[in-house]
Amino acid sequence: MINDTDNLEAFEAKETVNKLPVSWLILFWGLILWGIYYFVSYTPSISGWSQEKAYEESIRK
Amino acid sequence: MNDYQYDNGTVKGFIVSSIFWGVVGIIVGLWISIQMWSPAWNIPPYFTFGRLRVVHTNGLALGLGVGAIFGICYYITMRLTKRPLLFPRLARFHLYLFNAAITLAALSLFAGMNQSLEYAELEWPLDIGVVVLWVIFAVNIFGTIIKRKEEQMYISLWFILATVVTVAVLYIVNNLAVPASLFKSYSIFAGVNSANVQWWYGHNAVGFIFTTPILAMFYYFLPKSTGLPIYSHRLSIVAFWSLVFAYLWTGAHHLVYTPLPDWIQTLGIAFTIFLIAPSWGSVVNGFYTVGADWSQMRNNYLTKFFILGITFYGLQTIQGPTQGLRIVSQLIHYTDWVPGHVHMGTMGWVTMTVAASIYYIIPKIYNTEIHSVKVANAHFYLVLTGQLIFSITMWFTGIQQGALWKATNPDGTLKYTFMEGLIKNYPFWQMRTVGGLIFTVGMLFFIYNIYMTVRKGKALAASSI
Repeated sequence: MINDTDNLEAFEAKETVNKLPVSWLILFWGLILWGIYYFVSYTPSISGWSQEKAYEESIRK
Repeated sequence: MNDYQYDNGTVKGFIVSSIFWGVVGIIVGLWISIQMWSPAWNIPPYFTFGRLRVVHTNGLALGLGVGAIFGICYYITMRLTKRPLLFPRLARFHLYLFNAAITLAALSLFAGMNQSLEYAELEWPLDIGVVVLWVIFAVNIFGTIIKRKEEQMYISLWFILATVVTVAVLYIVNNLAVPASLFKSYSIFAGVNSANVQWWYGHNAVGFIFTTPILAMFYYFLPKSTGLPIYSHRLSIVAFWSLVFAYLWTGAHHLVYTPLPDWIQTLGIAFTIFLIAPSWGSVVNGFYTVGADWSQMRNNYLTKFFILGITFYGLQTIQGPTQGLRIVSQLIHYTDWVPGHVHMGTMGWVTMTVAASIYYIIPKIYNTEIHSVKVANAHFYLVLTGQLIFSITMWFTGIQQGALWKATNPDGTLKYTFMEGLIKNYPFWQMRTVGGLIFTVGMLFFIYNIYMTVRKGKALAASSI
């Protein structure tokens, strides 16, 4: 016996079903932009940064 | 009508099996937590830390985690597709094979057979067994969804499909090996390649065992147990696709400051930080859903489990990506911070959500009410306390360890010996055992409550015939 077949209507709110909160959208696009910035800045063939150089700099101090 | 009853029996079988393996895994977990500060608790050769630790991780991830996932995914799929499972007898065979495989897995790990790949320790004959189990699961889930009687696919089904597909790919690739004998094999990957494949696997095991199926449960049982509809269906779908897209790129954050090429590490970190957004999509959706009626937190015992569960998921998905950053990783990587992080996810998010789902399912299957809401509340506060003690003690000692290891004298020599650092861990490790004990007592309350509910349900069924 199945005593709880599902009515999908009951799962999804009606007025807000298509809403994406603005704060969340800012987070979403903000992190994509940050990811691009980070990848460009810390990829040796693009920015010249490398783990090796960063290490040598840190022990010279 | 009888089909559902038979399938419910299979679901129940998986739930009972997962609880059984959960008990084994938790007891072994407590045991190894004691071994960390009292070496006398190592009993060679079978009960040493090296062997028990893998029994703990495999027992809980495969036994409790995957067992509960199999059963609960079957339960959800049947209800959302409005039909019984396509292959009910295959599902029952799946249950028997699952328990046989986990038993053999535990025995082989006790015996010391190990591929030496974290979370992929099982040797090749058992790997084949796991693949067979997974194919059976895939055939039944896909078949039932293809032959569904409800056209619309609710978000939980998407998360279940992602789990089925991704775990299959991950498991097969990382376990590719050349057998040398029945109990020994050699991985086809070596060196940096092996490390990269291993952590692509290791991290996504977390993503597709401890995240996507648990989110399927969250999205299904939260509206079912509260009567509140999910705030935004679109948000759940956007979060789903961005989560599954981003997750697979992130494994390299486990290999920061290793010989892995810098650009792979950087790419992994960039995707890891992005992952905060899809994770928080589900967190926000959960909060807004219950936001329609916060009194549920007081009046409905299940709401607490789901909301605290998703809160820990939210904390985890900020803490985890932060750990991936080079600046943070160089302090806390290889310290006890890491198990602290993992256990907030497993004890806070996964176990709480799974336990709440089981609290919902068992009375439904037996057409009765839960034995005691009071016991369920006691269970809730005990596991919450135990988990917080575990995570917080490990944060403290992890930062302390990292700082001690990094401290150098002006001439560049290390300021502290390894032993000095180790001794400072003992009070925190002892506190962690206390936290683990409290958590275990909480889980015993849970098991008692489920057992009594089943007994009540059986008595009810007998009297109605």
